[in-house]
Amino acid sequence: MSDDHTKASDDSTPVAGEYVLGVLSGAERRAFEARLAQDPALRAEVEYWERRLGVLASELEPIDPPPHVWTNIESALAAEPARKGLWENLLFWRWAAIGSAAVAAASLMVLAYLARLPTMNEPLVAKLEASGGPARFVAAIDSGGRGLTIVPASVPNLDRRVLELWLIAPGDQPRSLGLIEPGRPVHISLPTDLIPRVTPDATLAVSLEPLGGSPTGLPTGPVIASGKLTNL
Amino acid sequence: MHAMSGPAGPTIAVEQDAARKQLVAALARIAGGDRGALQILYRDTSAKLFAVCLRILHDKGEAEDVLQDVYITVWQRAGTFDPARASPITWLVAIARNRSIDRLRSGATTARTQTIDEAAAISDNTPSALAQIEDWQEHRRLMECLDELEPRHADAVRSAFLDGITYDELARSMNIPLGTMKSWIRRSLLRLRQCLER
Repeated sequence: MSDDHTKASDDSTPVAGEYVLGVLSGAERRAFEARLAQDPALRAEVEYWERRLGVLASELEPIDPPPHVWTNIESALAAEPARKGLWENLLFWRWAAIGSAAVAAASLMVLAYLARLPTMNEPLVAKLEASGGPARFVAAIDSGGRGLTIVPASVPNLDRRVLELWLIAPGDQPRSLGLIEPGRPVHISLPTDLIPRVTPDATLAVSLEPLGGSPTGLPTGPVIASGKLTNL
Repeated sequence: MHAMSGPAGPTIAVEQDAARKQLVAALARIAGGDRGALQILYRDTSAKLFAVCLRILHDKGEAEDVLQDVYITVWQRAGTFDPARASPITWLVAIARNRSIDRLRSGATTARTQTIDEAAAISDNTPSALAQIEDWQEHRRLMECLDELEPRHADAVRSAFLDGITYDELARSMNIPLGTMKSWIRRSLLRLRQCLER
């Protein structure tokens, strides 16, 4: 068995389990976390072991922390600026979704990406959320109204399914805008016949579909996030 | 000793479910910037997470520091919690363990060794407070699978998890060669997985 935890293709060593168990050295942990940031399959492995082994913590007797811990947390939060604004939110979610190891790189990537967005006169945007949950996607219509960019904020569990984006104009049935990627921003050219339907009243929705997309032309799987287009 | 049949009874299961839903709701509100929800989450989970940090760090001051850091992290990342993928307490424990282990590895704390006997002693404690937020069904399943391992291997897995120590420290504390410890743990993980998926 190899001791090299930086290799991606070492299936014989249950490195995600070793990481969760906590037996890796500091350097090995950092190397593993760097891989983790870019490998959703590995993330799923880590989540598996966290779920399975995490219950061992129930063997520890709870111990009340001294009151000053909460006081310190409160003061730390008071020093934080209040959260506001769609793009700040987006950066926040993106940052959070990726986790500790690749924070700096990811934030730079998103900033660079946002900087390339065309200047918009009346930008039309949508924040797609699960009911009551955090933002899962943020979408923006190009200034000419002919294209749409959608950025995943928190990445859902796909489980061998794909993400399909839908446009639902008032009084109309859902129209497919195509498949989108869970891990990176996607630009979509809007079909010509749908361009007039992209208005501030329309809704964007993302559903989980079988590989290759919905076989019926209408959403067949659960809608995991939706949101109305609004002027920014 | 591992059966834990009491807490997994039907009444507890209902309470457990309600407690979990409450934590999920608190996390959703925290994601939206609700500080009151963070306070509720802290009230309900900090004793558990403090025990996790303290066990790994063996130093009250360090554990308090890390615990503070854990809840600030929760404040910032609550939006990434996905109830379909993790139970709230598992998610919180993972953050607390990761922070504690990183602190331990950074060398900020003095190196210490702990014997397996101590780990075994704690594992026989009767669960009491906070029982309702634990996933006792998952726990029992894991215990059944740990019981299928050789006892020393199971002890090594349990100690590794609770103490957050490296292969090297684990091998020394159990007085066996490093290579042997690695193969014990790796084999145990593979066998646990086979057992858990049966």
